[in-house]
Amino acid sequence: MRYKVVIRRYKDGRISFDTFEVEANPSESVLDVVERISIEKDKTLVFEHACHHGVCGACGMVINGVERLACITRIGDVARNGVVVLEPLRGFKVISDLAVDKSRMFGRYRHVAPSTLEKLELRLNNAVSIPREKLYDCLECGICYSACPIANTFPEYLGPSLLALISRSGNERVPRVVDSRRGVWGCHAAFECSVRCPVNFKPGESILKLRRNIISGRVRVEG
Amino acid sequence: MGLRDAFTSWFRIKGRSLEHVSFAIRRLTGIIMAFYLLGHLVDITTLLAGPEAYSQLLNLFAGPMGVVIDSFLWAVLVIHGTLGIYSAIVEMGFLLEHRRKLLVIAWICALLFILLGVEVIINVLR
Repeated sequence: MRYKVVIRRYKDGRISFDTFEVEANPSESVLDVVERISIEKDKTLVFEHACHHGVCGACGMVINGVERLACITRIGDVARNGVVVLEPLRGFKVISDLAVDKSRMFGRYRHVAPSTLEKLELRLNNAVSIPREKLYDCLECGICYSACPIANTFPEYLGPSLLALISRSGNERVPRVVDSRRGVWGCHAAFECSVRCPVNFKPGESILKLRRNIISGRVRVEG
Repeated sequence: MGLRDAFTSWFRIKGRSLEHVSFAIRRLTGIIMAFYLLGHLVDITTLLAGPEAYSQLLNLFAGPMGVVIDSFLWAVLVIHGTLGIYSAIVEMGFLLEHRRKLLVIAWICALLFILLGVEVIINVLR
């Protein structure tokens, strides 16, 4: 099938929209199509990718108005009348075309030190409780920042994924910044972060659970 | 970050979930109520010009247009209130696993209260 792929370009401070006509199978991923455009039609097209199977979180972009990972999004599922509009993630500084600078998110990790493992409780036969740890599911793709109306308008906000990591770390103490407008009190329950998260990490719910734990004193604020 | 960016982000509803659309409507109704409060302050200050001036102003809203405006304001108030209660519950970290059901209930309550209020505005207060 023939698709019109409209890509928001950003070069030398100028924004433009370029249209590329491509032949693609509806079951092909958007990332495959973008790569083909880059190889066959415009080698200056800038975008990020790595794993191609929804694990690295590099290829997050806005596809027809909605934040998605391009590698696990079939073009046939998102095209409207054969048209697909690709834009960079919102809430981040655009480096060029579809590539954004995620240092706004990664730079915040210096404020807090979440553990690298999520603490869970495993119940055997509903009787024995065994504490266990697992790696976080969060891909750090930045989709939650792009979808969140607060992160988009309040640059100092720590952001959904980071606050969710802190919440899920199970730590009993959190730094003062978490208990502030920059932290859990910045969330206004739009829940778009949870709806758009490609791995169902539920940042919105985690933030509000952390807020409740801070209010109830189960999590103490230090500093 | 300018006002335009804030509005674009808050009120971007294309492709958004029911939760985000409700968030946008909650903000919009809040803004409308703030402007209404300002307008109301202006209209009661006409009392300074005498009771006749105030009555003349009120007469502007006595006809069918008044019913429409009153009904609209009632709807705005109810939507802001019901979504505000939903928001207060989930923002305190309660019923997070059932937030979608809670939101649907909030919308159903809002619609019922709006219908009830419009009925009262049309048939009782007029």
